[in-house]
Amino acid sequence: MTSTPRGGAPRSLGASLLDAVLAETLDPAYAQAAAARAAGRPERPRWRGRALVALTMSIAGLLMAVTYDQAAAGAEGREQVREALIGDIDRESSVSDDLQDQLQDLSQEVTSTRDELLAASAVGQDALDDLDRAEQGSAAVRVTGPGLLVTLANADPKADEDPVGGATEDDGRGRVRDGDLQLVVNALWSAGAEAVSINGQRLGPLTAIRFAGEAVLVDFKPVTNPYEITAIGDPDTLAGRFLASPEVNALAVISETYGLRFDYARKDELTLPAASTPELRIAVPEVPAGDAPATDPTPGG
Amino acid sequence: MIPILGLAAGVLLGLFFDPTVPLWLQPYLPIAVVAALDAVFGGFRARLDGIFDAKVFVISFVSNVVVAALIVFLGDQLGVGAQLSTAVVVVLGIRIFGNAAAIRRHVFRA
Repeated sequence: MTSTPRGGAPRSLGASLLDAVLAETLDPAYAQAAAARAAGRPERPRWRGRALVALTMSIAGLLMAVTYDQAAAGAEGREQVREALIGDIDRESSVSDDLQDQLQDLSQEVTSTRDELLAASAVGQDALDDLDRAEQGSAAVRVTGPGLLVTLANADPKADEDPVGGATEDDGRGRVRDGDLQLVVNALWSAGAEAVSINGQRLGPLTAIRFAGEAVLVDFKPVTNPYEITAIGDPDTLAGRFLASPEVNALAVISETYGLRFDYARKDELTLPAASTPELRIAVPEVPAGDAPATDPTPGG
Repeated sequence: MIPILGLAAGVLLGLFFDPTVPLWLQPYLPIAVVAALDAVFGGFRARLDGIFDAKVFVISFVSNVVVAALIVFLGDQLGVGAQLSTAVVVVLGIRIFGNAAAIRRHVFRA
């Protein structure tokens, strides 16, 4: 072998690694083998080479197919897990909805039976009137009437904002917080609202509006953006007093600054559901002699 | 023609029989495929250059696949597996690109 094959010579020490990578895309061994053939080496039988090449190519194909299968199976598995989880969530929520319906039916039954029993006597009638008043006050019954619909919504994401990485700085300022909802609700109460609900969650005497992570919880159930606060009361006085309250004006300025949506509208007909009955842990109803409390299982009279 | 038939046969074989790959081998499959692609493109270019050699092709294929997988395996053991596989993919990717450009020059004379 006298001729030095192209690319087969040792590279100068000055050649950079990147240069080598960019320049030598073809294996130098091909050139060497070609030079050897040109120099008159005996050629191997052609059929054997062809068979070897075909075999290698089939191995390459096999490798690709198997790898593709693996990747596809991985993606499929993730998709399956996701769907299974979504299915679980749907099933459990429907179970919870069913239980809620059952609870409503049963409490309705209890109420009607109680009403029937109490209506039979004069003392019972008095107790029933007291009970009605107490139930309305504690938001334990569905109510309907005219009122005000206040809408609070998060700021729209800015168009040039990266939804993945860029939101950290703006986080929280363009969002409705629990305090905003508390402020609106308190302003509505003080403006004379008789019943208030947030996204269909009626506020009872013991209902809390809290923040948990990113979600606002009303009565420990999450409510999501946009927040629609409905209040029943005389629409004109409600709107007038609500808008006159300094907290609401401050909130309006804040919403303007940070792009929150803050609207209100008068409604002729609003229906608010009953709040979940609060659980009294420490307070015990006082039992006057001869009068039947609502929680007592054996009504007298 | 025969190599392309072989490739097609391999793909069909893999898709039909769906062989199970041992779990410890699975992370190295994608890298092995990239290395195999490099060898295949190199062989094709050598053929167009008129210097194709079956022995060189087979040896370069096998060593490419094995060395690529080995480098990544070594990297995994040393805790730099992800970086090393990136390095392997970059180098092999550049080579595939260069060979593809050479093939293009042969085929389209441009």
